[in-house]
Amino acid sequence: MNNFLQRLSGITSFAMSTLMVLVVLISLTTPFLPSNPTHAVQLHNVQTTTGRMMDPYDKTSRTAEYARLTFDVDADLSSMFNWNTKLLFTYITVDYQSSNGFNRVVVWDRIVRGKRQAKLKLRKHHNKYLLRNFAQTFEGVEGANLTLIVNPVPYLGVMYDKTMSSIPFSIPRALKAGGKK
Amino acid sequence: MALLTSMFESGRIDFKGQELVSKLATFLIVGSALAAVVVGYSQHALSLCFYTYVAGVALTYIVVLPAWPFYKRNPVKWLPRKQAVAGNNTAPALVDSPNQPTSRKTLVEDVSDDEMDN
Repeated sequence: MNNFLQRLSGITSFAMSTLMVLVVLISLTTPFLPSNPTHAVQLHNVQTTTGRMMDPYDKTSRTAEYARLTFDVDADLSSMFNWNTKLLFTYITVDYQSSNGFNRVVVWDRIVRGKRQAKLKLRKHHNKYLLRNFAQTFEGVEGANLTLIVNPVPYLGVMYDKTMSSIPFSIPRALKAGGKK
Repeated sequence: MALLTSMFESGRIDFKGQELVSKLATFLIVGSALAAVVVGYSQHALSLCFYTYVAGVALTYIVVLPAWPFYKRNPVKWLPRKQAVAGNNTAPALVDSPNQPTSRKTLVEDVSDDEMDN
């Protein structure tokens, strides 16, 4: 620390190290900040229909079973916004067990960017994304779960999923066994 | 003006001053990190946390980097110059002879702080 440049170098490196410790402490303590979100999901109806996979008017494309859900969501996620929250990624998934193993499909999502948008009130919404089994029909699929998950995206730190509500339901069949209606 | 040049041109300080610099810098930087967390969390803004920290580091630079006079209060006490004794095997004539060119100063106490770089 004898001359100006030595002091500049030493103090700057200490300041950068302290900044690094500060950032690590902020990102480690963020998941433990208190929050009490309220959440409720209600499933009204599940309808299944058949449709073509690529182009509805192209008769050479395969037909598959598509399920359409009608659901309500009531949630107040504003308490999940702390100083380190950039946005909340909320999404609804349907997961079920089939002959392929465990399947999980995201059927609806929304990015909540602030406390004003954090009060979700959805009435009779449909799924944004198509719900179709990998094997084109829902044969062999017994029970399914509808789950609301919130993923708080921080400015500093790690993203993680926080499961809110989960409702079991069953997907009705539109195609009888053998591929016939 | 002379104060400014003595603070920045090479900016040397003595050892007690360096110890003080080290303690002050540690205290100020860690303190500004704690203050940054308090300010940012209370105002619910992460950006304010880092602005406060940068302001604290800037304050530390102002306090620590220039060679303020209070860092130079304990100058190093060198031993007195040894005089030559006749009969010794040293060569005192090289140091103190009147024929020696006096423009080149080599003894520490003859050279000021800011000329030491030459």
